[in-house]
Amino acid sequence: MKRFWKKLAEMLVTLLGVTFLTFCLSVLAPGDPAAMVLEAGDHIVSEELLAETRHEMGLDQPFLVQYGRWLGGVAHGDLGLSYSAKKPVAEKLMEGSTGTFFLAAVTVCFMLIISLPLGIWSAVHRNRWPDYLVRVGSFIGVSMPNFWLGLILLYVFGLKLGLFPITSSSVTAKGVVLPALTLAIYQSAKYVRQVRTVILDELHQDYVVGARARGISERRILYLHILPNALLPLITLLGMSIGWLLGGVAVIEVVFSWPGIGNMAVHAITMRDYPLVEGFVLWIAIVYMVINALVDLSYAYLDPRLRRTLGKGGGN
Amino acid sequence: MKRSWMKKMWKTVALGLTSVLAAGIFAGCGGGGNSAGDTKTLKVGVTNFADTLDPLENYFAWVVVRYGLGESLTKFDEKMDTQPWLAESWSVADDKLTWTFKIRDGVKFSNGDPLTAEAVKSSIELVFEKVPRAKTFFEYDSITADGQTLTIKTKTPQPGMPGYLADPLFLIVDTKADEGRDVRKEGPICTGPYMVESFVKEKAVMKKNPNYWDGDVPFETVEVDSIDDPNTRAMALQSGDVDMAVNIAAGDMDVFRGNDKFEIKEISSLRDVLARLNQKPDHILSDPKVRAALISGCDRESYNQTLLRGTFITGSAPVPPSLDYGFDQMKDPNSYNPERAAKLLDEAGWKDEDGDGIREKDGKKLQLHFVVYNSRAELPIYAEAVQSDLKKLGFDIVIDTVDYNLLDNIGIKGEYDLLISNILTANTGDPELFMKGYWMTNTNGDNPQNGSGYSNPKYDEKMHQLSAEFDKGKRRQLIMEMEQILLDDGASLFLGYPQTNIVSSKKLTGVEMYPSDYYWITNKIRPAK
Repeated sequence: MKRFWKKLAEMLVTLLGVTFLTFCLSVLAPGDPAAMVLEAGDHIVSEELLAETRHEMGLDQPFLVQYGRWLGGVAHGDLGLSYSAKKPVAEKLMEGSTGTFFLAAVTVCFMLIISLPLGIWSAVHRNRWPDYLVRVGSFIGVSMPNFWLGLILLYVFGLKLGLFPITSSSVTAKGVVLPALTLAIYQSAKYVRQVRTVILDELHQDYVVGARARGISERRILYLHILPNALLPLITLLGMSIGWLLGGVAVIEVVFSWPGIGNMAVHAITMRDYPLVEGFVLWIAIVYMVINALVDLSYAYLDPRLRRTLGKGGGN
Repeated sequence: MKRSWMKKMWKTVALGLTSVLAAGIFAGCGGGGNSAGDTKTLKVGVTNFADTLDPLENYFAWVVVRYGLGESLTKFDEKMDTQPWLAESWSVADDKLTWTFKIRDGVKFSNGDPLTAEAVKSSIELVFEKVPRAKTFFEYDSITADGQTLTIKTKTPQPGMPGYLADPLFLIVDTKADEGRDVRKEGPICTGPYMVESFVKEKAVMKKNPNYWDGDVPFETVEVDSIDDPNTRAMALQSGDVDMAVNIAAGDMDVFRGNDKFEIKEISSLRDVLARLNQKPDHILSDPKVRAALISGCDRESYNQTLLRGTFITGSAPVPPSLDYGFDQMKDPNSYNPERAAKLLDEAGWKDEDGDGIREKDGKKLQLHFVVYNSRAELPIYAEAVQSDLKKLGFDIVIDTVDYNLLDNIGIKGEYDLLISNILTANTGDPELFMKGYWMTNTNGDNPQNGSGYSNPKYDEKMHQLSAEFDKGKRRQLIMEMEQILLDDGASLFLGYPQTNIVSSKKLTGVEMYPSDYYWITNKIRPAK
């Protein structure tokens, strides 16, 4: 229980620090949210109108007052009103997060489908043609820009073959396939190498030699002994990828017109939409904290050795 | 024990993954966009900036009008002349303050309520009550309503009044109907051909307004997808995902040009891309000869026709050709002529003494800072083209790229030699505000937008006349004379005017592109026979 409270206090301090820093950076960055809102019409705006709008938005208040107000709101569950969207930040985040969660989930599935078998195949056939093939493939995958790959997939599967819609605009199973595939190909290109390395490491462990000596089939060694051991380092990576995906993938969202949180964040920064930027940062901070906690927990669950140490540690 | 757990896990994972994949692929197989011959639904691809449909917030009213939901008292035609819309006619009294608008009879809001002068009055009053921006158009002493007659008495004479009321901010809503509705998602109750069924930023679904006043409404449903990426927008149009798309990018236009399945409507917009020239006393460009040399050293024709592939019209005058202000009659003394430019520089005393290719005078290099931002793709292209052309003449142009956020301040403070601008010249149908903001003399900050130091008493004099002139013909004449003064003075470098377009499938007729960019979806758009 004591550990829980300590952890919670740590999280709160981190959140406070992150939001304060973001607020500082937003305000220090040149630019005027009032002007951004008014000049969206792209014509000449008078100084009086700018001053009036700044006052209305509370931007003429001292920096600390603005931050204090925002913090006070957050403590009451109110993330404020987005300048550019003119709707509550919480509502805006909710709108984007459905798409982002769904896209992240499907991407992770695709990524595992692609990278696990290929990584294993490549490790098992080390320095033979399957290995070279996978390594070259992963090299190409990493080097291809995301948006370009996305456009190519759209061109082939959307325009030429007509299998998938060109625009998603709303969260649908049909619409998620191409953006998820684009992200998954890019991510898999990195994962394949990781999977390969981890499996290769395990292949040389004593327990593998022992198992072979006992005449256990290669296949059984691979799936029942090596894979579970290889999972641990991969889960850490996976956690980071999920965090990255949940932070939104602006370029992909734009290319596929996918309603997500990433494009919203980029837009919020360009528009100097401070409340929305703060809301987004809060979201990202929480996502990473939760994922880290889950990764820690999964270690304990998957690795009996860790479970034992943790169990002891907890008792102290 | 362990083996069975592993097996189970792998089975579950494999099953899960397969079903996700299968779901995706099967769902995909049914796709393929709009089925041919669907005359019930119109699908449109645009870029939408509005998060809600509340016309009182930011510039969201633009979207309400663009989507065919809202209408205003007046509208702009293809020449940006003000035409009747919900107002049948109007007149101004001899006091130049009292405007009388005759509200069209028989118009109903989409909920069936009649459009009366009283309804128009409360709609306009609401805008003034809620939106500070409203009073930058005009301020009023009183608005009175009598049957279908609306009288607005302005505080000062406002020659541009009919055009101001065409701004989407003044679209007419049924203020009585707002109670109990979530205007942000359901949209306001207006008089347009379509009304909202559902709205999020990414997708709007609209249905036919059964009470529409101006002829029949051809489509039962209109779906508007916001597609931000220009390549994707073009592909969506090619694949039939959408029937028409607003603003296809330069690089994609070739796909549609000469393709008999598509119709292109292209028009020069109301925008002007220009470089403001800092001519304050201690600046290099305060010398008119150097300004003239700079302007005539730039081959603007090739920037627009070659580099920008004809998606921009070559710049010369301050007001773009989409507005009827005698664009072709203007005489640009500084049209492209590099020999003349070199001669002018020699005359002004700028010579390359040390042979490094850059001219100097009194030990000072002919170095100028060109401040640009790059969130609009064409701006860096213009800047680099100018840099390269002027290098041949012995200018050293340094390009300073800044965030768009900084631009306004740099302009006001005059911290530049050249400053890029991509600006709407006449959102009210008349370039008065634009001509005033950029070039009227700025005395002690009374015209802060003019940070360039440009000042010409003759120009100011005409500006004063313009602000009190009601006669349309005389206004046009004044504006043309003012434009000529700016050209003669080499006040700014006018680079080009962007074209905008709507590309549509030949399955549709009646698609039009207006320079004002407010009217995308109308009931004139219908299935081709």
